[in-house]
Amino acid sequence: MLKFILRRIGASALVLLGASLLMFFLTINSGDPLKDLRESNDPNREQLMAERSERLRLDDSPWERYWDWLSGVGGCFTGNCDLGVTINGIDVLGLTQQAASSTLRLITLSTLLAIVVGVALGILTAIRQYSGFDYTVTFGAFLFFSLPVFWAATLLKEFAAIQYNNWIAVGQYAPWTIVLVAALAGFLLQAVLGGSTRRRLATAAGVFAFVAVMLFVFNALDWWRNPMFGIGGVLLVSAAAGVLVTALTAGLRNRRVLYAALTTAVVGVIAYWFTAPLLVDEPTWLLLIGLFVVAVVVSVAIGAAWGGYARKQAMLVTGITGVITSFVVVADILIAHWSDFLGLKSRPISTIGSQTPNFDGEFWERVLDMGTQILLPTILPTLVSVATHSRYTRSSMLETLNQDYVRTARSKGLSEREVIVKHAFRNALIPITTIVAFDFAALIGGAIITEEVFGWTGMGALFQDGLNAVDPAPVMAFFLVTGIAAVLMNLLADIAYAALDPRIRR
Amino acid sequence: MKIRRLSAAVAVAATGALLFSACTSPAGSDDPADGESTASSAEADGPCKADIGEVETADGEIKVSVEDEFLGYNSLTPETYSTYNSAVTERLISTFYYFGVDGTICPDESYGTYKALSEDPLQVEYTLNDEAAWSDGVPVTYADYMLDWAARAITTDGEVTEDGTEKPLFNHIDGLSLGDYVPEGPQADSVDAKTFTYDYERVYADWKIHSYPPFPAHIVAEQAGVSTEELVTAIQDRDMAVLEKAAKFWNEGWLSQPGQVPDPAITPVTGPYNFKADGWEAGQYITLEANPEYWGTPAATKELTFRFVGADAQIQALANGDLDVIQPNGPTVDTVTQLEQLGDAVSVDTDQGLTWEHLDFNFGSGVFSESLEAREAFAHCVPRQKIVDDLIKPIAPEATIMNAREVFPFQDGYEELVEGSYDGRYDEADLDAAKEKFEAAGLEEGEEIRIGYAAPNPRRAAQVEAIKSSCDQVGFEIVDAAAPDFFDKALPNGDYEVAMFAWAGSGQIASGENIYSTPGTQNYGGYSDETVDEAWKTLASSTDEAVHTEQLVIIEKQLWDTLYGIPLFAHPGVIASSSDLQNVRNTATQNGVMWNAEQWARAAS
Repeated sequence: MLKFILRRIGASALVLLGASLLMFFLTINSGDPLKDLRESNDPNREQLMAERSERLRLDDSPWERYWDWLSGVGGCFTGNCDLGVTINGIDVLGLTQQAASSTLRLITLSTLLAIVVGVALGILTAIRQYSGFDYTVTFGAFLFFSLPVFWAATLLKEFAAIQYNNWIAVGQYAPWTIVLVAALAGFLLQAVLGGSTRRRLATAAGVFAFVAVMLFVFNALDWWRNPMFGIGGVLLVSAAAGVLVTALTAGLRNRRVLYAALTTAVVGVIAYWFTAPLLVDEPTWLLLIGLFVVAVVVSVAIGAAWGGYARKQAMLVTGITGVITSFVVVADILIAHWSDFLGLKSRPISTIGSQTPNFDGEFWERVLDMGTQILLPTILPTLVSVATHSRYTRSSMLETLNQDYVRTARSKGLSEREVIVKHAFRNALIPITTIVAFDFAALIGGAIITEEVFGWTGMGALFQDGLNAVDPAPVMAFFLVTGIAAVLMNLLADIAYAALDPRIRR
Repeated sequence: MKIRRLSAAVAVAATGALLFSACTSPAGSDDPADGESTASSAEADGPCKADIGEVETADGEIKVSVEDEFLGYNSLTPETYSTYNSAVTERLISTFYYFGVDGTICPDESYGTYKALSEDPLQVEYTLNDEAAWSDGVPVTYADYMLDWAARAITTDGEVTEDGTEKPLFNHIDGLSLGDYVPEGPQADSVDAKTFTYDYERVYADWKIHSYPPFPAHIVAEQAGVSTEELVTAIQDRDMAVLEKAAKFWNEGWLSQPGQVPDPAITPVTGPYNFKADGWEAGQYITLEANPEYWGTPAATKELTFRFVGADAQIQALANGDLDVIQPNGPTVDTVTQLEQLGDAVSVDTDQGLTWEHLDFNFGSGVFSESLEAREAFAHCVPRQKIVDDLIKPIAPEATIMNAREVFPFQDGYEELVEGSYDGRYDEADLDAAKEKFEAAGLEEGEEIRIGYAAPNPRRAAQVEAIKSSCDQVGFEIVDAAAPDFFDKALPNGDYEVAMFAWAGSGQIASGENIYSTPGTQNYGGYSDETVDEAWKTLASSTDEAVHTEQLVIIEKQLWDTLYGIPLFAHPGVIASSSDLQNVRNTATQNGVMWNAEQWARAAS
């Protein structure tokens, strides 16, 4: 395995080297760096042109410039990176760090979301093939896949930002909106859950009633402006998550695992009760990460303690439950801070920027601010990726479901859950891994547009400004980051193959 | 005028041209525009800043869009020189004058005054306000202007420039222009004098806009390891040991890494605003806060935030309150429609700016080079009014055809100038007249005319189409010869019959000399006319405004009669602001809407 990885890294390095050479020459030949000066009639135009030629080293041979760039990059291995300076005399290394951190934040989040949502939708549509739900998701997938990002961004800003902000100023649903939302929820859920007509009707009616009542209660409580969740809610959601995870992985009949999951949820909530003063006031990121690690370790330990014969499974389930519980706790704290946040920022969702200028809230309000700022630019690439992921998962899943061994599994009396999760899904994941890895690199490229429309300066701006000025340093920095990200993701995909497919493990 | 397109995010290029160095230059296509005051507490009468009376700085923040990252305190190096950077630094550092909304030179009397003591030889006396001081308490004095002069006069050889073509020691965007005209440098009694004079070696018609905002000499001196007095002496004696250190700091010491607010110890300011500690987030925004040490009328609102946002995202950001004032680059009909749909929540102002579009003939080769009749035939068939009606009026309804080259339709003296130079014969397409001239020129049906411009540019493509549908009826065969490298290749090689581009506004009186006289560096078509040359010489060597006006009529008339080219229109521009803001006022100049940002105030609600 190690040999395989090393060989892959070696090959990737060569590819990167060749590509960087190509990229460098393409960039410096992509236009005329003196264009604006040629169009100028400044008395000292010649001086300015000479100055810029010297600054950009236009008179040196391209090979020499490439070599100097390459040795600057080579310096990264010895600790003194030099990625050059931009046409504005700004150090590219610093710029790249800033840009990469903001872009990767965006991309990582939307990739994770897209994987979870896309794969889940894919599996569900495959199981309910040719159902109304399947057709709806298929329609949605094709719609989102063909969305022009620019246009979708404009719509998103209009409805999810401007209109939402107008609405949250009051925070009350009109009765007909409630009815509509409840009806929609009822329709969707019955489509997903399926069953006989009667069962479907019952599901739809139940969901409709529940959602409608909830929304009316929310209205009455002014919940959207002063939301609260409470420790009871945390317990409920975490426990439900524990049950769900158990149901999916081990089956509810495996009581040991089920109890382990429930114990994790309860322990998590008790821990929340005790650490609340630490968490709610003015925590630091370090503290949060530390607590998170502790939570995961404790959860896994609970699994190990409860596990017995199903130890491994129990540890997995409690680990996942622990992670979910941690997130629910954070969500609870954030929800509790929402009304304060609204007081600081009356229009919570912005259309531009990665943070509100000069925002001076407490820790959790700042987190909320970053969250509301990242919301729209994340949704957009997520939608597009969800469309691809769900389609690929669906077809891959359908293919495995029709295999003989799945029929064998069914015929020997395995439960549907085991057939799908253990036998079909795992095999279906193999081709999806490749798609996800490629998609990550594509997303960085696609982020250029997303960043532009949401005023989110990152790698895209670096690339675009550099290219417009025929300034190789920032373009090459963009290439380095995206190239390395692509190579790394493909490597990860290869390793994931090995984990998923025993035939590859050698 | 120098142009720098930093964010060409918007493919339609920006005129990143700044007026204070003001010559002219061909711009991509679009740029800010001018206008009248929006909802304002004090109606402005005249192009300069309105007198808004006593001002007390109110708490609050106003957010305005600029389209690219802030680069550094020193906006006058080739690296940092852009409209976007100057939008910030002009709030920080005061100078003797600013441009009013129509390009009028307005003195900033709270900073100082200046006047010509004698006209020939030209001697200009500058007097700084006694209270004028850097925010660290050091007064603005002669020493700062000595440094300014050194930055625009001294060559790498340690000499004062002979003709402005040597390699300058300081990396100043203006080159060595000041040393070229004022080789002796500013004269004063002492280093800390508040009054000094420039003795011009020869008459300079644009002396009124020859001063630049100065940089703090005491900081540069400190960085070079000497006292301010020693720095002034070093400049006078051309002591290169000191000057090289000073120049190095001047060139590089004020560059900033994005997100790191410059050290206040090396960036004192003299304007109504100062940097705000921690007020800069890379790629996002930079916030300025009112400068408590400012001696003039204080800023009306405490904080001014520049958010770095592309034109496409600005309108919705305004609607959502993420921005309070926007000036989208390269506005289209859609821009205006979208803004109008926002209703009463925003005030929109459209107008024409100081960038103007024109068609220039190629006098070097081709059918137009020899024959005036051929040029007249073409001029008669160009549907100028239709182009303005179809392409410009939807954006700026009050737009008109531009019938002069050196004065804009919204400026004083335009009517008189046009009256004396042009009779209106080319306003509308006149195909009969065009055909007559076409035959008189002895042209044959299907004469190929290449109209060249820098691609891509949708509006110019539409203009060529309009011209084609009209002129092809006369017998011309119009060819759209757009190319991305038009300025690089086709224009210098003369591979065109008609060139279409824009000159970005001019605050200078004599800058047109380069364009219309022989052999002007900007006279791409190779036009040559003795009357025009003579008139420019007279104009450029006088500081008398009556002479300027008189010569301009001669020049414009001759340019119309011999058809140097055909002016079309001034580019439209749009600003918009939330309705609760007062004193936001559009301007035709490239300083942009934030030219009077210190007067902006939020109405008490």
